[in-house]
Formats: sequence, structure tokens, C-alpha cells
Amino acid sequence: MARNWWDDDNQIAAMLDEALREERAVPRDFVEAGKTAFIWRSIDAELAALVYDSHHAPVTTRTDTAAIRALTFATAHLTIELEIAQDSLIGQLVPPGVAEVELQTRVDNPVTVTTDELGCFTIRHRPTGAFRLRCRNSTADVLTSWITL
Amino acid sequence: MRDDPTVVAMVTKARGGDRDAWNQIVERYAPLVWRICRAHRLSRLDTDDVGQTVWLSLIEHLRDIRDPAALPGWIAATTRNECLRSIRVAQQRVHAELPLEFELATDGGFDELEAEQDREERYIALRDAFAQLGERCRELLAMQFQEASPPYREIGVRLGMKVGAIGPTRLRCLEKLRQCPALARLIEAERKAAEGK
Repeated sequence: MARNWWDDDNQIAAMLDEALREERAVPRDFVEAGKTAFIWRSIDAELAALVYDSHHAPVTTRTDTAAIRALTFATAHLTIELEIAQDSLIGQLVPPGVAEVELQTRVDNPVTVTTDELGCFTIRHRPTGAFRLRCRNSTADVLTSWITL
Repeated sequence: MRDDPTVVAMVTKARGGDRDAWNQIVERYAPLVWRICRAHRLSRLDTDDVGQTVWLSLIEHLRDIRDPAALPGWIAATTRNECLRSIRVAQQRVHAELPLEFELATDGGFDELEAEQDREERYIALRDAFAQLGERCRELLAMQFQEASPPYREIGVRLGMKVGAIGPTRLRCLEKLRQCPALARLIEAERKAAEGK
């Protein structure tokens, strides 16, 4: 019977060697970039999870395969419908109401727009990297999960 | 490692806003994220992108994570998904209508994922244990890991040891490694699993 890797001195040494090599192979800036991501931690806002993405919907339920991509984020109290147009993000909050919607990316300054009474908003920017939306009014503060188009 | 107290403590602290704990999590799992990106043959640029998305998602996930010990599995799965997304986007750039076959081609079976995860857990435990060894043991073991491992005579000179002591010291160091809690726990779990078969 083969010995277990942990019982064999040479085998455990070889595995340790591999484990340390694997760690050394990771560029330091890759690790440091991961550490700085911590500044995006937000404690106050409620998180809205992605509950629908037309890209991942079964083909049979798609109205049109070439349609604009549609996303839905939801918390127990608020739903954010979002459509990704050529060069803008078009959305609506449900239940409707006036709120501030902030587009956050990792690189650019945030862009803030105000919705109309129906909760509709347009952000004239289509982010290329990861982004998320923060929606705030007098009663709610909701943050969507990060998404990359 | 179902209930690794190290991971549980790190997650709890990071959730409470402890930056050092977050840094430890990143240091610990960055090799896993990096290796999965390499396995999917992503460019460095795409790898950076995937890494960022994984870490950003993890920061959010920290809040509602119920079983911190499931963290490595979560990170691996999230990284894999992001790699596939990245590949899809790249394919769309090149070829608007290329079928999405890559997903099936790269995604190994469940067994393969399990094996990879087991291996990663071992590596992490080994690195943890190594970090807890005394400096002398670390130096001695590291010297033997070099591409051209120096002869005992040279190791002896560098570490100020008698040649005859090197072999036995190496064994003692490996024994200490096994006894480090991080590795001892994993070995115990694997031993039980092996006996159960």
C-alpha cells in the first residue's frame, strides 16, 4: 500500500516545495490590488442581489436574442430594473419614487443622477469594467452587487 | 477542512472591518485565484480584472457568509465563473457568433474540481505551517528547494551546522511542520477519510 503523503518525508517536502512555489508565482501587485479592494466595503447600505440577467436566461424565454441586456437587482423592499444600452444605463426603481442613483466603478469618479417620480433614470455612461449602483432616498439605501458587462 | 478556526477568525474580523484580517484572506487565497486564471489561460489584464471582481464580490459576501470554512470553495467557484465570463467576452470581441463551447471544454468534471480543491487546501495548510516554523527550519528546508540544492557541506557552512546534523535536523523540521496546528488538523481529517474508505 502506498504511504500517505503526510507520512513520507520526501513526499511532504516535495509538496511543501510546490506550495511555496505556487505562492511565489503570484505577482505582488496582483495581491496588493486585492488588498486595496477593501475600501469598497460598505456597512450601511442594504445589498441588492442580481436576481435576473437576460444573458443567462434560457434561450426559450428570451424575447429576442439580440435584445438589449436586462438585469434585475432586488432586496426585500426595492427592485432595480436595469437595461444596458449602447452607451447608457436605463433603469427604474420599484416601488417608484424619487431617489439618487449613483454609478460606482473602481476607476472613475461616481456619477449621480436623480430619478423622476416614476423611479426612472438614465445614466449616460456605459462602464467597461466592474460597476455597481447605489440607490438612496429618505427611507432606503441600497447597493447592488458588482457586475461586469 | 470544515471548521478551520483560522478561517473562521479571519472572516469574522474582516466582516467587522479589520483590514489586517482582510489582507490575510487575500494573501492566503490569491494563489488559488491566480492559478485558476492561469488554468483558463487568461491574459494578465483579464486576470487582474477577474481578481478584482472576485475580491469585490467577496467583500460583500463576507456579510452573509454562514460557514466561513466554505470560503475556499466559494472563491474557487466565483473565480471559475468569472474566468468563463471573461473568455465569453473575449470571444464576442473576436467573433460575434462563436458558439459557447468553451464552457464545456474547460470545465472539468465534479471530481476534478474536488481534487483541485483538496490540493489547494493542502497547499494552504502547508504554507501556514511553514510560516509558523522557526527561522532555522525555514532556511534549511528552503535551501533544499532551490533549483540546484547545495550540497550538505555548503548548507552546513551557511547555517553553521555540522554536516552530520543536517539530515536529522531536516527530519525534525518536517516533523514540526506536521505538528503545526494548521497542517495537523488537515492530516487528521485526511487520515480519518482514508480509514473510512
